[in-house]
Order: sequence, then C-alpha cells, then structure tokens
Amino acid sequence: MEVEREIVVPESPDEVWEALTEPERLEEWFATEVELDARPGGEGVFRWGDGDERAAIVRELEEAERLVLDWDDGGSVAIELERVVDGTRVHVVESSPQFAPAFELRAMAWTALATA
Amino acid sequence: MDGARDGVDRVFAALGDAGRRSLVEAVATRGSATATELAAERPVTRQAVAKQLSALEEAGLLRATRRGRETRYEVTPAPLEDAVQWMVSVGSAWDERLAALRRSLGGYGKSRVSDQPPPASRS
Repeated sequence: MEVEREIVVPESPDEVWEALTEPERLEEWFATEVELDARPGGEGVFRWGDGDERAAIVRELEEAERLVLDWDDGGSVAIELERVVDGTRVHVVESSPQFAPAFELRAMAWTALATA
Repeated sequence: MDGARDGVDRVFAALGDAGRRSLVEAVATRGSATATELAAERPVTRQAVAKQLSALEEAGLLRATRRGRETRYEVTPAPLEDAVQWMVSVGSAWDERLAALRRSLGGYGKSRVSDQPPPASRS
C-alpha cells in the first residue's frame, strides 16, 4: 500500500533539492533531527520530537530529480521533482513494506503461528 | 505501536494480491459467501478460492463460520480499520511535512532576493 502526495512550489528544482538533501534544511520540514549522507548508498537517521527514530539508506539519487530512501523497517519513500511552468512539482510516494513477496510470506507465517 | 504495526503488516500482506483483494470485495458486497459461491463467478477452481479465503482468514480479514461441510466467510472490520489508520496517519504526516517544506522554501527564497520588493503574501 502506498500514500501519495503532490505539491507545486514556486522555487526551482535546484532550490527544492537543497531542502531535500541538506540535513539542516531537512530539519526545517522533515524531522526534528536529521543526519544524511546524500549519495547513493549513503546512510541517514531521522529523529522526531515524539521520540520516533527511523534509519534510512539512499537507494537512488538523481540530483534535482529523484531521491529514494529505504527505511530500516522495509518501507521506502520516493520524492521526485519536476520542473513545471509555476516552479517545481514535488511528488512523494511512501510505501509500506508489506507488498514485497518476502514480507507477505513472513507476515503469513507469523499469522499462521499466532493463530495456531 | 508494534502490535498495531504487525496487524497492518498482515492486512497489507493479504491484500497484496489482486485475486485476494477481489475476493474480499466480493465477500463484503454479498455480506457473506462460501468458496463454492465465489468460485461460480470466477474462472478458478473452488479449491483455489478456498485456499485464498483461508489465507484471508489467517490474516484476520475474513471470519469463517463452519456449518456442516459449508464454511461461510464474512469480512471482519478491525484489521481494515488498522490499514485505513496507517494511510491516514502517514498521509497526514506528509501533508504537514509538505506544508512545512513550502514554508521553509519560501523563507529561503525571500532572503535571497533581498534587492527586490517582498512578494505579495500568499495564504
């Protein structure tokens, strides 16, 4: 299952890209505390004020176009930028991990165990 | 939190297959159904449908009532509520983040074009 969101901002894709990849910029909108090594395979940690913490690995990175983070729980988030007449379209898809076949099998197995 | 997450995992795993999703929809539409009834309206065997229904039951999406040789299935609402809750909470988190991103970008844009008059405020 996925959650999808989209907004158009007046800034250029380059300007938006900075806000997506620089930790101190990410702390203005994404999470309270952010560490991110913004390159393919780079690691990141996102912490929120409520104590929530998620670790991530950069799966894909195309400058000013596309950033895909894999969360340590198997989920992922893909953020794509597209230049439009009014500025930049920011498109976000957050996926839950459960559609991957391996997760499906594991979840099924757990369920079978839990109900046995 | 972890317990809720496990429940959501289970629901999504079971719904990750188009055939199973269509079975849940069919059971929901009818109120209750048996494998024989559902197999009659699709190009698969009763055994295949029965297997899918039992997987959906294990995932907590369907509840089975056995009467003699017949097993009747109904949709159980609770796990689906978890699924909806996941979507709502992740969706609203992104609504907030994107609104904050817009504000953050606006702030940076203004400081850079200091030689121009401030833009008309947008709501």
